[in-house]
Amino acid sequence: MASPLSNESARHSGSLVVARTLDTGASETFVRITADGSVSAYNGHVDLGTGIRTALGQIVAEELDVSFARVVVVLGDTAVAPNQGATIASETIQITAVPLRKAAAQARHFLIARAAERLELPVAELRIEDGLVRGHNRSVSYGELIGDETIRLELADDVVVKPVGDYAIVGQSVPRVDLPAKATGELTFVHDIRVPGMLHGRVVRPPYAGVDAGPFVGTSLIAVDESSVRDIPGLVAVVRIGDFVGVVAEREENAILAATQLKLSWKPTPTLPDLADVEKALRANPSAPRTLIDKGDVNSAIAAAAKPMQRTYVWPYQMHASIGPSCAVADFQHGNIRVWSGTQNPHLLRADLALLIERPESEIEVIRLEAAGCYGRNCADDVTADALLLSRAVGRPVRVQLTREQEHAWEPKGTAQLIDVNGGLNADGGIAGYDLATRYPSNAAPTLALLLTGRISPEPDVLQMGDRTAIPPYDYDHMRVVAHDMAPIVRASWFRGVSALPNTFAHESYIDELATEAGVDPIEYRLRYLKEQRAVDLVNAVAERAGWTPRPVRQDKDGEVVHGRGFAYALYVHSKFPGYGAAWSAWVADVAVNKTTGDVSVTRVVAGQDSGLMINPDGVRHQIHGNVIQSTSRALMEEVSFERGAVGAREWGAYPIIPFPDVPKIDVLMLPRPDQPPLGVGESASVPSAAAIANAIFDATGVRFREPPFTPERILKGLHGEAAVAPQALSAPAATPPSRTRQNSFAKRAGIFATMAALCTAAIGIGAALLPGRAIAPIARPDASVYSTATIARGQQLAALGNCAECHTTIGGTLNAGGRALETPFGVIYSTNITPDVETGIGAWSYPAFERAMRDGLHRDGRQLYPAFPYTHFARTSDADLQALYAYLMAQPSVRATAPANTLAFPFNLRPLLAGWNALFHQTREFKPDPAKSELWNRGAYLVESLGHCSACHSPRNSLGAEQRNAYLAGGFAEGWEAPPLTSLSHAPIAWSEDELYAYLRTGQSRFHGVAAGPMAPIVRDLAALPDQDIRAMAVYLNSFNDTAINTQTQDALAAKLESATQVTIASSTGARLYQGACAVCHEVGGLPLFGSRPSLALNSNLHSKAPDNLVQVILHGIAEPASSDLGYMPAFKDSMSASQVEELVTFLRKQFAPDKPAWTGVTETIARVRSSIH
Amino acid sequence: MTQTPIRLTVNGRIHDVTAAPQTPLLYVLRNDLELNGPKYGCGLGECGTCTVLIDGSAARSCVIPISGCAGRDIVTLEGLGTRDRPDPVQQAFIDEQAAQCGYCLNGMIMTTKALLAINPHPSEQEALAALRYNLCRCGTHVEILRAVMRASSQLAEAGD
Repeated sequence: MASPLSNESARHSGSLVVARTLDTGASETFVRITADGSVSAYNGHVDLGTGIRTALGQIVAEELDVSFARVVVVLGDTAVAPNQGATIASETIQITAVPLRKAAAQARHFLIARAAERLELPVAELRIEDGLVRGHNRSVSYGELIGDETIRLELADDVVVKPVGDYAIVGQSVPRVDLPAKATGELTFVHDIRVPGMLHGRVVRPPYAGVDAGPFVGTSLIAVDESSVRDIPGLVAVVRIGDFVGVVAEREENAILAATQLKLSWKPTPTLPDLADVEKALRANPSAPRTLIDKGDVNSAIAAAAKPMQRTYVWPYQMHASIGPSCAVADFQHGNIRVWSGTQNPHLLRADLALLIERPESEIEVIRLEAAGCYGRNCADDVTADALLLSRAVGRPVRVQLTREQEHAWEPKGTAQLIDVNGGLNADGGIAGYDLATRYPSNAAPTLALLLTGRISPEPDVLQMGDRTAIPPYDYDHMRVVAHDMAPIVRASWFRGVSALPNTFAHESYIDELATEAGVDPIEYRLRYLKEQRAVDLVNAVAERAGWTPRPVRQDKDGEVVHGRGFAYALYVHSKFPGYGAAWSAWVADVAVNKTTGDVSVTRVVAGQDSGLMINPDGVRHQIHGNVIQSTSRALMEEVSFERGAVGAREWGAYPIIPFPDVPKIDVLMLPRPDQPPLGVGESASVPSAAAIANAIFDATGVRFREPPFTPERILKGLHGEAAVAPQALSAPAATPPSRTRQNSFAKRAGIFATMAALCTAAIGIGAALLPGRAIAPIARPDASVYSTATIARGQQLAALGNCAECHTTIGGTLNAGGRALETPFGVIYSTNITPDVETGIGAWSYPAFERAMRDGLHRDGRQLYPAFPYTHFARTSDADLQALYAYLMAQPSVRATAPANTLAFPFNLRPLLAGWNALFHQTREFKPDPAKSELWNRGAYLVESLGHCSACHSPRNSLGAEQRNAYLAGGFAEGWEAPPLTSLSHAPIAWSEDELYAYLRTGQSRFHGVAAGPMAPIVRDLAALPDQDIRAMAVYLNSFNDTAINTQTQDALAAKLESATQVTIASSTGARLYQGACAVCHEVGGLPLFGSRPSLALNSNLHSKAPDNLVQVILHGIAEPASSDLGYMPAFKDSMSASQVEELVTFLRKQFAPDKPAWTGVTETIARVRSSIH
Repeated sequence: MTQTPIRLTVNGRIHDVTAAPQTPLLYVLRNDLELNGPKYGCGLGECGTCTVLIDGSAARSCVIPISGCAGRDIVTLEGLGTRDRPDPVQQAFIDEQAAQCGYCLNGMIMTTKALLAINPHPSEQEALAALRYNLCRCGTHVEILRAVMRASSQLAEAGD
């Protein structure tokens, strides 16, 4: 595209700039052309993903007569770009491009005049091709014309720009310049910036999530316990200023760990306004009325109406919901402060930063890089200020990445809005009057660090923002519009369409209601009051494109799924009142409403737009697509949830946005208006959305919906009344299993201490009568070389079968060196060192001492061991195996490590009492095979009952904490997890079979039951050491407790039936939405295969169990260490979902995936217990 | 704490990474290997911006610890192709202008790559279902779907 540069011009060093001198004496450059012919264009606005970088390049290339490829567009960098305010209100092309265009034209005039001189030809005989001025076989390039001169032109106002008819670049679709880099992973985003010496920071936000006004803001932090993070490697600093808290570490994952682990104490947040009822909250919020228009005699006109119509429209709180949480890098050096930011308003941010750190603006450079699409105001500025505070504290560059939860909770929301319309119809069907009052509690959302550090007052500003498009586009004779200006209730700021979208929802719903009442086609009715010709042309064009058939009277529809069609129109009037218009927009939306489920599909949208001259028509088309899809999402599904007045939605399950399959077909109609000035296209197509959809739903159902989002619950309520949307009917309460309460106290592996008190009283007599164990003399550490390699290897397998290392190794610690804390309700037991260290391990233990410990539960010194050590099972091990195990343990590296002292309370610290327990419940006999059973069965029985000790967890315990022999493998609890029944008592919808038991023990997964998690995952991991035939033997034995014989075909058929019957097609509850947003990606049957397994919830034993514990465990804590990495990993949701959200989710999952089972009781308590337990 | 380096194979190159085994792959790819393709989006595997290929399957690198990646073949956006030699899927996304802000683009391309590997000629419905759990906020779904279909048809041509 660009012609090759001549060698001659490249040697020159001159430049031509077109700049504007400011009142301050400073200068702002718009266009710079250098002697090598390259062109830089500077604009104070930034590209938010809308493609303005490309469009501005087109404008400059056009006016300069250079190729598009020659132009580099520089956006937003405070060191070089002009201050043109925040990138808002779709005004980049319409407003801020104007001086840029003039500057380019001015440069061209200058250069062509100079060329005329140089070539000695009149300007009229010259033409320019890509910066080369030609005439009569002579030519001179822009670079040559500039040569070594430094030329500065003062930007003039009265520059003649090119006539549209001459355009060659503007008006043509040009591919976006940024996409190749983005599609190949080049450095593009602020998230990708890496500065030498850069550290990683994270912030910790206050508990008043998303609330930025009130005396508690900045004053709620009581204390920071720095010792809580002292063990984190590479931690550099904990920074606290007021309520601002941040951590800095060398590595990002350690900064994350520190932010999670840091213990803070906060004052309780005062009671916040209840936002469950938005209408009520907005009416109660103090406000000042501001009349925007008062025309005719509204009161009299409405009083005289033949049919008065008073309506209220309510808009919900919504999120910008940027896909990438905000990120920034700051480098605080004295006199030279640089921040790399995704800000939407670099110059305003610089002023905020200067205020924050009390340095002059001139010392601060804001380097603007792209960030995830923002659509208004997200946390981009907040995180920049956070990074600056942390960099200042540590004197090094710091990168701060906000978490998803922080971005969701703290981004300034698109505010809720309340619009009351009073009016009515005259007898002739005309509108009597229109009296609109709008409430929009939003301001500019001050940068958070200013508030948290106390640099600015937490008293909220009241801004005049509710007036955008508040005056309807219709020429009503009697009309009054009042904006009730008010402060925010929660942190809120502009979001695509600002107040214009809700205001238009009211205007366009109301006029539709008028048309219906008047018995007139809704488009025809609008045209009676629409006076502007461009508006009329657009409305007609869109109606024609959509094949609109006049519908003066709504036709009733039959069937479960009813279809409807709705229209809406808007001229998006934005900016400070009275503002000005961006592009005109009109929608015809088609919907399908399922009257049984309440599900609304927007099946097709015809979106028409008059954007004036379109710089890059493809860019405009993409903006229309984007607006249609995003605003459809907002209308159908988006609403921020609150808990006690603070933002409750902190991940995508709690704030879903439209997924691919729900995107409507979109037909874009772009009116050609090349002769008209270009208009902003970034928001206009959103504005008619909600009204068009609501009008279509009315057409389909005959019911008016005046409060988005149009969720299934809300539709059902509208169609059938309150009864239809009572909270999900719960099945009959679960019959509480008699042992549940007791089993719950067995919350830990060492839980047999639960009934120690009973044990003490019952067995003390017997125990006291027995002799304590005698000490067995220590020996020198045995020489492991006496054991054969095969014996040691066999011993290693047996250690794996016995899962020894799990208890005898701390997390991340040395194998078998002990010290792992085993929590019990009565105190903590620390596992012992079983490496062959003579002093601290078992190096001084003879085989008889070892064997006695394994069979009788006695320490070498004669002390009784606590039955957290499952010697009741190990006693059944054969001599040969015990010897092999001994050989293996003695052959390990010796590690010196002393376990901390147990911290059991009296009387549980009295070991002799255990002798009594043993007398009651411990049988020390070796395993004896059952000759009536197969060899394989006997092998399995031996493995399971001896070292495998399966029933230690999988059998219920009696009142003295011993396994119930008459309920062998009938299910128990361990470490806060249910160990499900392995017999016919299994709750699983598909009975266990030998093959599935084998698959589960071998791989950690059964397709009909789920994956091993919690304490079972390390067991399966250990079992990997055993040969297949041993695993098969265990499966054979375990399966013998299962009466139900089921063949593979039957299993498959049942699985398919259960899975298809429980597919989640409609999300009609909070729990369902949480499932779809958080769980379905990995669990929905038939989804795209992802790394790891895809456990089917319909078949999962835990969903069908009597207790929700395992489900709650995996939701809160995830699966960080699966049986095998092949199974994949599950994230923990405990820091992303509130207790009530988890409860909604658990309740939904039970109802959805185990529909034949009763609802769980005590879910709230289970969640609280699991949440507070140490995991 | 002593750490044994974990050996990762990323885009065909071997890297020994010294980091805690539970560190999510995403942070190692971005910080240690200085790759920009996979992006942090939610840390919960919900949105798909962090998608990479592990042994050919789409994988959400924000929830997979590096300990689970040892010995596996990891491919990121950078491993598909470059500006000068883009992968057909990357080229299809550029040709269809299938990004607005482009933050989700990595996940869209990598998921498409994984989809086409197992279903080279998806129907539109299949493509929509495959991308169901990749979130886009700008509303680029129309162009993204076209890019998937274009990539699929180009693969067909290349295969013919």
